[in-house]
Amino acid sequence: MTVRTRRPMSTQDLVLIALFCAVIVALGLLPPVSIAVIPVPVTLQTLGVMLAGAVLGPVRGAGACALVVLLTVLGLPVLSGGRGGLGVIPGPTGGYLLGWIPGAFVTGWLVKRFAVRAGGRLTSLAAHFAACLVGGLLVVYAVGVPWTSMTTGLGIGKAALGAAYFAIGDTLKAAVAAAVAHHVRRSYPIEPR
Amino acid sequence: MRMSLYVPGTSPLHRVPAGWKLAVLLLCGVAVFLTRSVTLLGPAAGLALVLLLTVRAPREQLARQLRGPLWVLAAVVAVAALSESGHAALVVGLRLVILLLTALSVTLTTRTSELQGVLEVMLRPLDRAGLVNAPAVALAVSLALRFIPEVFQQFQEIREAQAARGLRGSPLALVVPLVIRVLRSAEDIAAAIDARCYPPARSRHPDRDDRLSGKAPG
Amino acid sequence: MRIALDGVSVRFGPRTVLDAVSVELTERRIGVIGANGSGKSTFARLLNGLVLPSAGTVLVGADDTATDARRIRRRVGFVFQNPDNQIVLPLVEEDLAFGLRNTGVPRKEIPGRVREQLADLGIAALAGRPSHALSGGEKQLVALAAVLVMRPETVVFDEPTTLLDLRNRNRLRAVIAALPQQAVVLTHDLGLLDGFDRVLVLDAGRIAYDGPPRTAVPWYVAHHS
Repeated sequence: MTVRTRRPMSTQDLVLIALFCAVIVALGLLPPVSIAVIPVPVTLQTLGVMLAGAVLGPVRGAGACALVVLLTVLGLPVLSGGRGGLGVIPGPTGGYLLGWIPGAFVTGWLVKRFAVRAGGRLTSLAAHFAACLVGGLLVVYAVGVPWTSMTTGLGIGKAALGAAYFAIGDTLKAAVAAAVAHHVRRSYPIEPR
Repeated sequence: MRMSLYVPGTSPLHRVPAGWKLAVLLLCGVAVFLTRSVTLLGPAAGLALVLLLTVRAPREQLARQLRGPLWVLAAVVAVAALSESGHAALVVGLRLVILLLTALSVTLTTRTSELQGVLEVMLRPLDRAGLVNAPAVALAVSLALRFIPEVFQQFQEIREAQAARGLRGSPLALVVPLVIRVLRSAEDIAAAIDARCYPPARSRHPDRDDRLSGKAPG
Repeated sequence: MRIALDGVSVRFGPRTVLDAVSVELTERRIGVIGANGSGKSTFARLLNGLVLPSAGTVLVGADDTATDARRIRRRVGFVFQNPDNQIVLPLVEEDLAFGLRNTGVPRKEIPGRVREQLADLGIAALAGRPSHALSGGEKQLVALAAVLVMRPETVVFDEPTTLLDLRNRNRLRAVIAALPQQAVVLTHDLGLLDGFDRVLVLDAGRIAYDGPPRTAVPWYVAHHS
């Protein structure tokens, strides 16, 4: 073994990264769900991104998302609706995909720092929700919006308007992700890493 | 379930080595942002379209890959046209068309294994510098490909079970059991990988173990 | 090969799973039976260093699992109960090649070894098939092939027939019976022990009985019904 990090990645970490990548992909393969408020059906793929961070923690969560990006680039149809390929990255929505990586990291970090220690059921749920919202929505959009603006030449304001369109769905997903992570933590706790 | 977008064929693009295709694609991605001239971008977009047609991909495959991006493209062009100028909208639209079509052409004509090969070559210097563990990345990719169909199948089993119990449509009832199953099986999968001598012996000290004969290395 | 456990205890937190077990395994066919929770699975995982003892030592040949796990794992193969979790690569032939690549078998030799092993078990036709599309019986054979292709001196089986139907169970029994290697087989399937040299009965983390199947199986049945 070479000396690299303080705590080298174990085989189990690697397996968890690959399996959560598979969960993110599988959630994107499910038929989109319609939510009353929004005219377009939303897919559950970004739910998987939030879950990767909230359940696995920052490093492994970001790893799972990086793996999805890698598979996309390798030409596999892993994004919702069976999309994939190199063209996704330089496209207007490429930044959202790349933003998943820091997004899952921040979600995981916040969960590790605050949510795990939260005492009561409500505080735990609220802390998980906040973590999913900050990481899975704010951070992802913080990468996605400037990317859209850069690739299309539109102003930041207009690009942000497009993002706002998806914010309702993503907020609902953050709530679901928080509830799932909270339940999972109670019945099968693993240490976030 | 088909896990690759690759379309078998013998077109010129199929025969170009993957590394070259990726290099040209990268250059192309930079080049389109260096000009705002429609007389350059227009023919280039036409060329990209011809390139895609030489691949001879099935129509439904093309439609599936293009439908989503074309909606986004239409929206972007519309906004640019309304807020800036027709010329700006045209430039933005042509750039995106070029990127989309060339990238799709490469994706459709390159096997995943070839791209994995390019990835390995690109990771090699990073691996030597100790920044990335290339065998681990390669294993993660393979594991994901192995378990995507498995996880998807588990998803459907859970969904059927929940439907039978009248829990249809509750995302919690669907996702919580799935995540727990995944966490459980991760332990077994990791043990199975370790049992088959992962991680591989590093070539730098080829199989240290073999040269020590029967003595504990302390 | 000689596998020797000397005063081995395994504790997970406050729970003692194995309690000061000493035993020497040299026979060709060794069965391990016991109720669920008797410590069988942990016992098996000690033999190739997947679990390390909290106290005592496990010697495989002259190697200690605590320090030489890597070398031991190429000599002691392990077949898990659920092949779904044991087949780790997308294609059957890739999965068989996995262990060979890890142990530094020259790349040129790998395809030949893989083909030969699949043919040996009568499943040559599965080589190019995706792992997830195999039937349950095929999966168990592929998982076994992936272990045997590494040419271990000993194979440990963790309840290999539990998830199989009768036909595949019989097929796997025949395969195990024909193995030239030493085999340690954990099982609830008592018929599998016919012709074995020795059977250990585990109970609450200790070896409660140790003898030939002709006496061990009746003892186990009498004490657990």
